[in-house]
Amino acid sequence: MSNVSLGTMAVSVGVAAAIAGLLVVAAGLAGRRSRWASEARLLVFVMMGAALAAFVVMERALITRDFTVAFVAEHGSSRTPALFNVATLWSALEGSILLWTLILCGYVVAVVVKFRHQAEDRMVGWVLLTLFVVSLFFFLLMLGPADPFIRFDPPVGYDGPGPNPLLQNHILMAFHPPVLYLGYVGFTVPFAFAIGALVTGRVGEGWLLATRRWTVMAWGFLTLGIVLGAWWSYETLGWGGYWAWDPVENASFLPWLTGTAFIHSVMVQERRGMLRVWNLSLVIATFSLTILGTFITRSGVLQSVHAFVESGIGPAILGFFALIVIVSLSLIAWRGDALRSPGRIDSPVSREGAFLANNVLFAVFAFVVLLGTVFPLIVEAIDGRTIAVGNPYFERMTMPVGFVLLFLMAVAPVLPWRKASGEVLSTRLLGPAVIAAVTMVVALLLGARGWSPLLAFGLGGFSGGSALRQVALASRRQGWRGLVGRTNGGMIVHFGVVLIAVAFAASHSYVRQGEFTMVPGDRVEISGHSLSYEGSQLEEHSNRVQRSARVLVDDVKVYEPGIATYPFAGQTIGIPSVRSTWRDDIALSVLQFPEGGNDEVVLRATVQPLIVWLWIGGLVMAFGTVLAVVPGRRRDPLLPASAKVGARTATKPQPESGEDSDAS
Amino acid sequence: MLVAVVSVSSLVFAAIDEGPALTNADRAYEIAKDFACPVCQGQSVAESDVVVSRNIRRQIRVWVDEGRSDGFIREQLVATFGEDIDYTPATEGITSLVWIVPVVASAVALSGLTLVFRRWRLEGELEASEDDEAVVARVRDGQR
Repeated sequence: MSNVSLGTMAVSVGVAAAIAGLLVVAAGLAGRRSRWASEARLLVFVMMGAALAAFVVMERALITRDFTVAFVAEHGSSRTPALFNVATLWSALEGSILLWTLILCGYVVAVVVKFRHQAEDRMVGWVLLTLFVVSLFFFLLMLGPADPFIRFDPPVGYDGPGPNPLLQNHILMAFHPPVLYLGYVGFTVPFAFAIGALVTGRVGEGWLLATRRWTVMAWGFLTLGIVLGAWWSYETLGWGGYWAWDPVENASFLPWLTGTAFIHSVMVQERRGMLRVWNLSLVIATFSLTILGTFITRSGVLQSVHAFVESGIGPAILGFFALIVIVSLSLIAWRGDALRSPGRIDSPVSREGAFLANNVLFAVFAFVVLLGTVFPLIVEAIDGRTIAVGNPYFERMTMPVGFVLLFLMAVAPVLPWRKASGEVLSTRLLGPAVIAAVTMVVALLLGARGWSPLLAFGLGGFSGGSALRQVALASRRQGWRGLVGRTNGGMIVHFGVVLIAVAFAASHSYVRQGEFTMVPGDRVEISGHSLSYEGSQLEEHSNRVQRSARVLVDDVKVYEPGIATYPFAGQTIGIPSVRSTWRDDIALSVLQFPEGGNDEVVLRATVQPLIVWLWIGGLVMAFGTVLAVVPGRRRDPLLPASAKVGARTATKPQPESGEDSDAS
Repeated sequence: MLVAVVSVSSLVFAAIDEGPALTNADRAYEIAKDFACPVCQGQSVAESDVVVSRNIRRQIRVWVDEGRSDGFIREQLVATFGEDIDYTPATEGITSLVWIVPVVASAVALSGLTLVFRRWRLEGELEASEDDEAVVARVRDGQR
């Protein structure tokens, strides 16, 4: 049987399984079916099988270059290197929806396996129902507007153009999209639990505990996916940058912001039973924003360097987004009474007070990013002008928020729950403050100037010191267990954030760029580095013709940035080359090889300090996330972990927060 | 105290001593970063490799060498290529909203938070009654 028929069959089975699952669970919840739980589980496995089959069929078609599949004919090519052949699947719309569906089904399977002992629970029923609805939507996309299995009749000797050249010249392309999707799609699970909690009215704390690890894992994948994406764009786009506040980058950043707010505020609800509506809204907002992100990426409403594909699935996704928002908001309104939470916060200077401030800041941050991203659309709709909102806006608006967040990141971890005395605070913050001061002095001695980068370094030292203090205290008490669990893993994540913040501030403030027209033998200086041009060479590869310049950097090593022409894709792209060290990066890219026969080159060099630490910071964040989901030391639920109620002065020794790594 | 003095003084020092002045090339690059490439998607003039952007970069450099102000360069570029080349939304008219709304929203959120805290404080402190303590003691004994 042909790949097209096999694939279409698999997708149809998926649709059928999702519909059947939906009906079975609905009937079960209505009390009309007794064995619904086991039937639903079976249908989940069928759905997973269908998605996996469709995925395998598509990969087989891509690897065997089966051009009777239109997707392969349009995006595959016999000249694409093997690895990128596999990755071609997510280089275009239909394939990426297929990958999304596969990952979604994987998560649904994980849910039914994990909650198999509570399968009869109505809550789990509603969760499954929600998951079936979301899965059905994605399967239907593949049956309709984003059908990956359309038949194509290739002429004799046909060969495809291959994927977009930008997507087949770097290894990171094989990892960045799947990891990002693992993050995006992962938020479906907490969303389903939020819906389940709202419908069943069990809006207490149960659903939070049930989904905490899921949320943290999804968040970790999203973090890693975003960092890998920045890394990829730095290594392949040749503009010396890694983050441009581009609509698609913002689309991935928005759920990250709300997700980050959630994983902090959820702790307030666990401890104090407060912020129920807020937390539900954050989970729902995070999931909706992943869908909105897909809309922005895939519909072409906003111009973006990443919007590799445009298609007609925009209306479908926008409709789905509207459905999610309307249903969720109605449910929240309906459950209004049950959601009113008991409890209150005793003092703004307390752990929960800090989390509250954190949430306000993240909400503002997300609002600024969202507003800036869609603002050109709003203005155009209102008075027809086309405007742009870019870098200067986002930097100016988010920088103050970022500074306050860095400051909070230093103070919050040392704050006890309920309330803190000034004395406790100053004792605990002395060490971090010393580190902050030392950092600033050292930065000054190393030549750092300007108040904003220096403030960033100082605050970085402050929060880094604070995180270090927590981890040190916890591991002194608990040995290796002081590194795992949510609180301690979270501190490792904070280290990663500090690294990224410092590297971001440094690379942004001290970037130097130069454009040089050189002939062989020329030598130029930029930011204390020397570049000598030795001439160019032409290379032919299976998929491209590449002309590279040999540039000797600092008289040590030759780097070969170039320009590649992909004849079959009809595109010419730059192939940058980057020299990285712990201290600074030199990104080289060729702008042009002018005609004229004297082997001239127009070269651009971008020198930025500390770039490597961005990627290291991202990896540290991912590693910290893993540590955070490993169960930490269980806290005796009866131990008082916070200041005594009504205590006006903290005379008693308060337990250090390194100790209250919560039971998971 | 000493820590605060050291921190603040290094900040002040860093703010006053701006380090080596920007060269014309650096200033041209800083300006180019704030404008969108007119023909490509999502890249600034500084980043883009296309011919138009390279010409604009060259023109900005000429203006910088002539000692023109940032404002002059902005006006010239917007007059030639349209408002959507400028990454910084104008601070007048409808586009000023993009600057104002977030600030207002943060102010509202902050004052809301302050109000809530004040109300909580006015409600008075919760005291654990003897009954409460007894319940806790019972549970603790049961645990052992």
